[in-house]
Amino acid sequence: MAYVSVNHAVKYFSREDGSEMLVLDGVSFDAKEHGITCLLGPSGCGKSTLLNAIAGLEKLDQGGIEFRVSSSNPTPDTRHPTPYTQTPRLGYVFQDPRLLNWKRVEDNLIFAFKGMKIPRESWRGLLEKYLSLVGLLSFRKQYPLYLSGGMRQRVGLARGLAIEPEILLMDEPFSKLDQLTARQLRQETVEICARLGQTTMLVTHDVEEAAYMGDRIVIFSSRPAHIVEVVDNPLEAAKRDLDDFAFIQFKKRLLQTVLKLVEQEERV
Amino acid sequence: MSSLDSITPDEPARQDQAIAVPSGAGGDSLSTEVSFRRARSVAGRETLRDVALRVASVIALVFIWWLLSLFFPPSLVPKPWDTFAEVGVIVTSGNFFTEMGATLRRVLVGFGLAMIVSIPLGIFMGTLRSLESFFEPPVILGLTVPGLIWAVLAIMFFGLTETSAYAAVAVTIAPMLAISIWQGTKSIDKDLIDMSKVFHASVWSKVVDVILPQLISHILAAIRYGLGLAWKVVVVVEMFGFSNGVGYQVVRGFNVFSMKAVLAWTITFLVVMIVIEFGLIGWLERSVTRWRPRVEAWRR
Repeated sequence: MAYVSVNHAVKYFSREDGSEMLVLDGVSFDAKEHGITCLLGPSGCGKSTLLNAIAGLEKLDQGGIEFRVSSSNPTPDTRHPTPYTQTPRLGYVFQDPRLLNWKRVEDNLIFAFKGMKIPRESWRGLLEKYLSLVGLLSFRKQYPLYLSGGMRQRVGLARGLAIEPEILLMDEPFSKLDQLTARQLRQETVEICARLGQTTMLVTHDVEEAAYMGDRIVIFSSRPAHIVEVVDNPLEAAKRDLDDFAFIQFKKRLLQTVLKLVEQEERV
Repeated sequence: MSSLDSITPDEPARQDQAIAVPSGAGGDSLSTEVSFRRARSVAGRETLRDVALRVASVIALVFIWWLLSLFFPPSLVPKPWDTFAEVGVIVTSGNFFTEMGATLRRVLVGFGLAMIVSIPLGIFMGTLRSLESFFEPPVILGLTVPGLIWAVLAIMFFGLTETSAYAAVAVTIAPMLAISIWQGTKSIDKDLIDMSKVFHASVWSKVVDVILPQLISHILAAIRYGLGLAWKVVVVVEMFGFSNGVGYQVVRGFNVFSMKAVLAWTITFLVVMIVIEFGLIGWLERSVTRWRPRVEAWRR
């Protein structure tokens, strides 16, 4: 299984007028192996940029992303991560699901299978497994534009999962959905990720989402982003309940950190 | 099924929904089904009305023609039915098929050549800055040169051969096709390209699965304009001294001052055009845009 660590990532964006803007100001953290790491921070702070850098869509100006393999049953003292010779298999779930609307649901998954060079014999099994996991098996022959927003987002999720990635990246995947659908999909995603055990990194600006989904929460400051705090969730994934006292406590604690951040910002 | 197809938005359908809604999840799907069927029957009625409107517009044109023929001598404006009879003669004598066949072949070969060059050129111009700067002047210049000039140049260069007809058609429409695809390529969704990169799509898959489908409406529009232009050019080329083709037949009609023959050939031409437009291109459009729900902006 894969292990991701971000080491002193620095990224500048060039503006229209040629000046440079610092987006990531030396960001370092380790993602939680087999778990969900939430990158929490205000909108536009550079979390998505970092995710794109991990996916190889952006180049960092300094620092780097390290992928390592560790033994399949890691314990803190015997783990000896070895560097990857190439990028591990990555899945990406986008904010707006970025489906190919002219392809049927199953062909959207097959598009990813072809790109990831997954042998043709396994396509059928993977399709059935992951489309039923997101509850869309009976819609496999539909075109995306005939599905609801929540269903399309599930197709995006199924596509990210079906290539059986070692690392799954998710960029605010539920932010454009209504509350009820988002809540349901969050719960399902947590269950699916717990079952499959890949290393997941999820970008969000929603404190409750981070508290509910994240096994580890990395709090980003606003731009230029640096890391304010890395918090491990005291509650196990299965025991997180939105109405539970311990959960609410934890959520409050996160919220306070984030609010303090906003106040500091306003003072400056 | 057949009885449900004819459901109009009145009592039976409403009752179904009223019963269906309180009964929970199962009822919900039933009511969707009913409204779906209703939508389909509305769509059926609309296509019927569309056809009726089209037929009415053709009849109106023929009527105006007939009115004109009352005021002018038949050598200038022949009676519509005399002209239609002439069309019948052209078709039954077999002339139609050989002449139209020659013209069609010239249009299609020239058109095909233009497509083969323009689609890749347009895509490259839309995606690579340097190629855009390099090819922009010739494409824009090519667009401004009249088809007649291309026809003259092609005949001077290739002589009265089929090649000059193909070349004239291809060169006339290629810039228009290229511009349309070039501009279309600029509007493709960058996010989808990123998505295809994340999933390591091959270059072939990027072009076929991601880029071309986004260009399909631009390509269809280009095909329509392109065919229209191609017809105009090919007739001009044929008039210059070819011994067959619709353009040649029109010139022959002109030389003996037979308005009836000129009009009759023009009509056969229009009919073929309409068959291609509504039949072939319409079918192509429907089959490649099935994934897209129809835009119904004005229906309440």
